[in-house]
Amino acid sequence: MRQELRSVWFWISLAVLALLCVFLVYPVARIFLASIGGPAGAGSGWSIIASDIRYQRAIANTLLLGGAVTTVSLAIGVPLAYLTARHDYPGKSVVSILPLVTLVTPEVIVAQTWLMMLGNNGLLRRWLLEAGLELPSFYGWFGLVTSMSFIYYAYAYIGTLAAIRGFDAQLEEAARSLGASPLRARLQVMVPVVLPAILASALLVFTLVVGNFALSMILGGGIDLLSVKTYQAAVSETSSNPVLQSTLASVSISIVMSMLFLQRWIVSRGRFEVVQGRGAAPTRLRGPGALALASAAGIVVAISLLPIASVVAGAFTLSRGPVMRWGQWTTANLERVLSRSPEPLWNTLSYAGAATAIAILLSAIIGYLVVRRRNPVTPLIDYVTALPLALSGTALGIGLIHAFNVGWLPLTGTAAIIVLAYVIRRLPFGLRSASSTLYNIPRSIEEASISLGVPPGRTFLRVVLPLMVPALAAAAVLTWTTTVAELSASIIVYSGGRETIPIQVFKLIEGGLMAQASAYGLVLVAVILVPIVVATRVFRIDLFSSRA
Amino acid sequence: MTFRTTRRAALAGIGALAAAPRALAQGAGQVVLYTSNPAQAVEVVMDVAAKAMAGTKISTVTGGSGQLLRRMEAEAARPQADVFWTSSANTLGQFKQLFEPYKPAGLSAMPAALHHPQDLWAPANQHICVLMVNTKQLGGLPAPRTYADILHPRFKGKLIIADPANSSTAYTILWGIERMLGADGLKALAQNIRVTASAPTVFRSVGQGEFPVGLTFESNAYTYVAGGQKEIALVYPEDGTFTTTEFYSLVKGAPNAATAKRLCDLFASKELQTALLEIAFRRPTRSDIEVGKYVQLPEMTKVKVFATDEEDAAAQRTAFLARWAALVAAAN
Repeated sequence: MRQELRSVWFWISLAVLALLCVFLVYPVARIFLASIGGPAGAGSGWSIIASDIRYQRAIANTLLLGGAVTTVSLAIGVPLAYLTARHDYPGKSVVSILPLVTLVTPEVIVAQTWLMMLGNNGLLRRWLLEAGLELPSFYGWFGLVTSMSFIYYAYAYIGTLAAIRGFDAQLEEAARSLGASPLRARLQVMVPVVLPAILASALLVFTLVVGNFALSMILGGGIDLLSVKTYQAAVSETSSNPVLQSTLASVSISIVMSMLFLQRWIVSRGRFEVVQGRGAAPTRLRGPGALALASAAGIVVAISLLPIASVVAGAFTLSRGPVMRWGQWTTANLERVLSRSPEPLWNTLSYAGAATAIAILLSAIIGYLVVRRRNPVTPLIDYVTALPLALSGTALGIGLIHAFNVGWLPLTGTAAIIVLAYVIRRLPFGLRSASSTLYNIPRSIEEASISLGVPPGRTFLRVVLPLMVPALAAAAVLTWTTTVAELSASIIVYSGGRETIPIQVFKLIEGGLMAQASAYGLVLVAVILVPIVVATRVFRIDLFSSRA
Repeated sequence: MTFRTTRRAALAGIGALAAAPRALAQGAGQVVLYTSNPAQAVEVVMDVAAKAMAGTKISTVTGGSGQLLRRMEAEAARPQADVFWTSSANTLGQFKQLFEPYKPAGLSAMPAALHHPQDLWAPANQHICVLMVNTKQLGGLPAPRTYADILHPRFKGKLIIADPANSSTAYTILWGIERMLGADGLKALAQNIRVTASAPTVFRSVGQGEFPVGLTFESNAYTYVAGGQKEIALVYPEDGTFTTTEFYSLVKGAPNAATAKRLCDLFASKELQTALLEIAFRRPTRSDIEVGKYVQLPEMTKVKVFATDEEDAAAQRTAFLARWAALVAAAN
């Protein structure tokens, strides 16, 4: 212990832990505390929820929606992954860009697209109506399940694809040579190995649905949902109820946390481990069946790409107030966004830039501490940094407002609270790539440097950090792309004049001004895509290796 | 070495980027406007001011009126805002200490009933409550002509309004209906109507055909008519409807008081009120602007108004909201 007290890393670990406690643990603790202790006589938030059927319905609906979206996402994602892992088919290279598309499309834009196509005045709906086909209203279950499934299936796809590729095809051959039919060999040998990965991605999808804000809010219609109720309790114009919003946020955190524990348990319980699996060589599909499968995959991809396409179309379409004049083109929307009101663009760039820099710096330091400089404090740091995974953006926003509204550190109404929300939300992702790359850097290099007389601190800066740069650069790009599109936490903590592009798009969609919303959306897509293209084309950084 | 220099340059760049909007706002002849109005209306002000107040840089901070007023309260020791534009007299009444009496040039062209006795604030525009009807979605029902019409069970599930706890528009309408048609009228309405949490959903969902009838302000509904959506009609209920006035004010201790007063004069000017009517469909408070000349909206004198007491409405707010919530809960 005494030796540890002399180590500089121990003190840095303590400082990091203190920082995390103040900005992460404290806000979350405030949420739970506020949910129990209401002002005198008002009773706790839990009793409000227990007595009001609307909140119970919201919780039930949220769980139901989670189940439905998870089922549909698996039904799309798993077969697509199997098809891609085991077979070659026309257009397969297009399917491989799927993770990219879902990653770069902000949810507000997805919601907007579905409305422009299938909303009650939507393009596709009017065509179908003229053809005599009347669809159910897109607001409500139909819209929620459809729009969410066509985003979240990508997680099922990515997870399953990795598992099937890692599966050793020789096992299947062995089963068949032992007399099992091809179908039975697959069901009894491959399924048990791949199943934990599928279940893990199913739970991930479920937690994403529970925390989903943008789609629930825009497409929810008359359906009570937990995230929408929480947001409304938080931002109600005239009377905000701190007890109620905290309680609803606590419910959301509890649901997601239990799902994450379940997920860890399933992953740790995976009974079969494939050591050095040799994936099967893809077989080429031919004939009409192949064509049908390929076109099914193509349709899925096309639907995923639709948001980007419709944003481009909407941004250049003439509008008068809320009424779109489809077929009449103009650049006025973009001119207005870029010359008249570019503040949301500047805000987005500066806040996300600052947040990315801080998050990556923290990831490098924390990753190094946890992987290379273990001491009694680092396991705590490890646990605490996983906490943001259980926080929906709405819950995090509420926690930050409660913790930093007044008192010793009043951040409400400043840009700092937005940057803070960004950093906390994205920290686990940056951290994951920082630690995974550290495991791959041989310890001996570092030890050599130290034994040659370079102090540990300088060794970290001069030897380890440069080796981490490629992975950190990839993490920075990913952090940037997801941060500029962040909505659910920032819309709770932002103040007038500090709108970011996603907030502005959300407000414009709410007011029905689709053309302007599309123009901002197009700018946002550019802000997201430019760094990705530069990183992958100019610097040749492999962005998706850690995800696929 | 080069690595360090580029990093420093990048940091400087980020810093400059963050500071850019503020740097632009510096300079002579500037004024800071806190506004709860949508971008469309704010842009009209910018356009008119660019000519009428050439050389003045107007920066805006936008947000909900309650949100902005609370921010002004927090800044009261060192005010950042020069002019606040707009909110109802009731809301402003809770923040009287934030405002500086000022009598803008042009106030005399507005009805005396709208003046504040000490000129703490001045009337900016008037709202009229209407039934926004999507005629395509009525499905054979006759279009309603009065508030009494929509109480009929045949309109069950066809009406939409915002939650009066969040929306002052909805509060004005529902409070008025209870005064005009009594407790039974309000109860019958609660049976028929869908309540949405966010106010813009009302006119957006009628515009998009989700609901045939929405209860909202004329200025919101008219954007769809002006945009050329032919199936949208505005019904001014024949049994009388409700109006509310929005006011603006000079901020006490405004850092740019002289320019701020010029902006206050501009808000009372015929030029700006006409432009706001033409482009953002804000009904002017000046009596010398003929509405029908610029937009297809009726003159104020042609609309039957059912007068309500706004102070009374504000005083009984909590009790009314509880009454309404109980009626809605009973209806579901």
